[in-house]
Amino acid sequence: MTETIDQHQEGKRDVTFRVFRFNPQVDSKPYFDDYTISAERGITVLRSLNYIKEHVDATLSFRAFCQAGICGSCGMRVNGISKLACTSQVWDELDKCREPGIIRVEPLRSLPMIKDLIVDMDPLVDKMTRYSNWVDSTMPLAEMGKKEFLISEEEFQQYDKATDCILCASCVSECSILRANKEYVSPAVLLKSYRMNVDSRDGIHDIRLAELVKDHGVWDCTHCYRCQESCVKSIPIMEAIHAIREDALESRGPRDTSGAKHAEAFMEDIEKKGKLVEATLPIRTNGVVWTLRNLLPMAMKMIVKRRTPPPPPLVKSAKGIKVFRAMFREMTEHVKQDHLKSQKK
Amino acid sequence: MKPFDIVIVGGGGAGLYAAMEAMKTNPALNIAVLSKVYPNRSHTSAAQGGANAALANKAKDDSVEMHIFDTIKGSDYLADQDAVDVLCSEAPKIIRELENIGTPWSRMEDNTIAQRPFGGAGRPRCCYCADKTGHTILQTLYEQCLRKGVLFFNEYFALNLSVNGSRSKGLIAMNMKTGKVEAFPAKTVIFATGGYAKMYWNRSSNAAGNTGDGQAIAYRAGIPMKDMEFVQFHPTGLRKSGLLVTEGARGEGGYLINKDGERFMARYAKEKMELGPRDLVSRSIETEILEGRGFDSPAGKYIHLDLRHLGADLIKSRLPQIREMTLNFEGVDPIEEPIPIRPTAHYSMGGIDTDNFGRTVMDGVYAAGECACVSVHGANRLGGNSLLDILVFGRIAGHTAAEEAGKFEPGSISEEELKENVEEIRTRMQPSGHYERYGALREELGQTLALNVGIFRESSLLHKGIEDIAELKERFKKVRVFDSSDVFNTNLQQVLELQNMLDLAETVAVGALAREESRGSHTRIDFPVRDDEKWHKHTLATLVDGKATPGEKPVTMGRYELQERTY
Repeated sequence: MTETIDQHQEGKRDVTFRVFRFNPQVDSKPYFDDYTISAERGITVLRSLNYIKEHVDATLSFRAFCQAGICGSCGMRVNGISKLACTSQVWDELDKCREPGIIRVEPLRSLPMIKDLIVDMDPLVDKMTRYSNWVDSTMPLAEMGKKEFLISEEEFQQYDKATDCILCASCVSECSILRANKEYVSPAVLLKSYRMNVDSRDGIHDIRLAELVKDHGVWDCTHCYRCQESCVKSIPIMEAIHAIREDALESRGPRDTSGAKHAEAFMEDIEKKGKLVEATLPIRTNGVVWTLRNLLPMAMKMIVKRRTPPPPPLVKSAKGIKVFRAMFREMTEHVKQDHLKSQKK
Repeated sequence: MKPFDIVIVGGGGAGLYAAMEAMKTNPALNIAVLSKVYPNRSHTSAAQGGANAALANKAKDDSVEMHIFDTIKGSDYLADQDAVDVLCSEAPKIIRELENIGTPWSRMEDNTIAQRPFGGAGRPRCCYCADKTGHTILQTLYEQCLRKGVLFFNEYFALNLSVNGSRSKGLIAMNMKTGKVEAFPAKTVIFATGGYAKMYWNRSSNAAGNTGDGQAIAYRAGIPMKDMEFVQFHPTGLRKSGLLVTEGARGEGGYLINKDGERFMARYAKEKMELGPRDLVSRSIETEILEGRGFDSPAGKYIHLDLRHLGADLIKSRLPQIREMTLNFEGVDPIEEPIPIRPTAHYSMGGIDTDNFGRTVMDGVYAAGECACVSVHGANRLGGNSLLDILVFGRIAGHTAAEEAGKFEPGSISEEELKENVEEIRTRMQPSGHYERYGALREELGQTLALNVGIFRESSLLHKGIEDIAELKERFKKVRVFDSSDVFNTNLQQVLELQNMLDLAETVAVGALAREESRGSHTRIDFPVRDDEKWHKHTLATLVDGKATPGEKPVTMGRYELQERTY
């Protein structure tokens, strides 16, 4: 291990790694082990784990490969946040500890545990397959390799950031929907789907989109932005998710699926009243039959508890609705202009 | 398990291309890809710069012929000229094919694939996607393999070939998730396991897993290794970690500066300056440092790679990964400060001896990519030719194996043979008495290689290196695996990887001692000039009675006569 001048000057800091342990062969449930080492400035979490494995406890298990932030192997939760161990500085993490001097290291969430910090990536690969996360080229087989598609810089820019994704699954681990529903498509797969859908070389845009608007698909996202906040490559994942939704509304129509209808109902209410008309929202999203079948018991309970939302005629427009409507119209106009611009390209 | 027609070991660029091409050649074949990591983690992802192809998008007068000449000259005339013909003629086709199936290449103003200058190339012919070229190529190939339903065995660690006389019966591998040793009987096996430069450990830019597993398995099975002494040191590794700053940084116009503020490359390559070939630039940096013109720090001596004059916009748009990396691992923002760098072991030119079709001397065993030595890189690989190599020869190996699988009987691997493999591991897991730590051995191996089998070599140093390796091999027998778990035993895996590195390290040092000349990446202080009369040939290393036994093989010449290599 190398040291530098500044490390000598600034010395070392003692740090305890509180690491999640679980070996399915012997442990009935997970536990934590503490490893205390001294770390100089510039040392990453991964180098510390390597040190612990080599010198303290060889049974500690985690994945690591390139150690340079490009292969995506060492995704794990450090102090509660999903990230790459190889690009996380120990001294930075020491400033974020809940308990002073103790860095918690845990496996990614929402993927099946295998051992210690290692989780099963297969569910993610399966979803990539289900949502056709590949370019299905429009180049005829006989022409392959003979000529190039001509791609504009503007088109390249549309998917440039998205192709930075290294599938480290930090977003998967942070996603609040996945924690409730393991079948949810997941942010990484939405990002990849978006990247394929805006690629002019691809010929299965409609098939992919049809899959994305189904249950557990793009409409299930609740805009919590956790995926984007935790992305180790700073990819604007939410923009990709919004783009898929806009694409779905535009190319499949606003009455396509319950997700699209829900979004449309939202827009309608906001434009008219500046707030939601909650009483009819489920009906407009999923229809009368579904609502009666699924929400009637809850509606009864709400009546008993006097928690029912006001009936539509009683929902008054929000204060300053006129100014708001003007703003709303202006925004809608902007969005339209942007669309026209991108279509011209 | 049902016998396979083709088992591909390794899921990087070469392995995935081989799989795709084999399926295309004969869709009825039963093909499996084994990888010790998820394929999208493979080290192909780390290649930043690009892949060479004479598309002539940027320089209209570029040609395949010029690419061929640059490659042969770059190899210091040790490449086989017929193999280089194949590499360069296939290049435009394969780059376009990747483009056609979704690789997001950066674009020129006329919307064709962008190209930039690269070291040792007479024309700007390196096709790129920002500084994430390898990553995007690997993603594309993995996506296409998922599309075609390639059968993957992810996180399987290959142990040994099962051999019957002169032919292979298949592969034996450990399932990391269960610890179970499993048989993969197969008509053909393709090794595509990447390079062995990680044996230099902390002085290497490679991923932790680039331990030469495929080469070591083939070597133990009696297949010769070729030109193992040729290890490329990349000129610009980060001082602290050995991690790589892409040649693209110099391609875009970066300067190399010594402590006197001099652009010292003027002394070594007047015309090409910073864009001289890698071996030359590495030696130049090392010479500057040895002669006292480097900067000093407890992390070692270094020189500066200065990008500041390129401006923030260009650095942010064309070299974003470099900036991120220097910030993360060196605490330096290249927009504000020069980057501290020194040469780092980066690429292994040597590898499993194959012909131009990926065949090895053993029936049914093929190799492609960095783990093979065709040889297209000879004594020194040009930047942008390694991605090209894995694509072109990965595809060829896949095609050849698919065509030839029918020739071979399906092998069967006996229970006894599996048990032998399990037994070997078990013994390792319960030694008694005094034991050695694998971590220490691994570090010592890297140190002795960097010191004695590094950029500048010499007889007494090499003898010391060989002795050290022999001693480490002896000590390795006492290395103990502390993790007794069957599930994902990374402790065991790392120990087995160390064994592979130790086996191969011997061939590197023995080859370096034998080759009494200086050629390409191999520089002997005691034999400072190229000696075509005695050494214009490939070296071979074959395992005989537990020792690396030297052999040789002629270089295939063609249109280009031997010339002095100057830039």
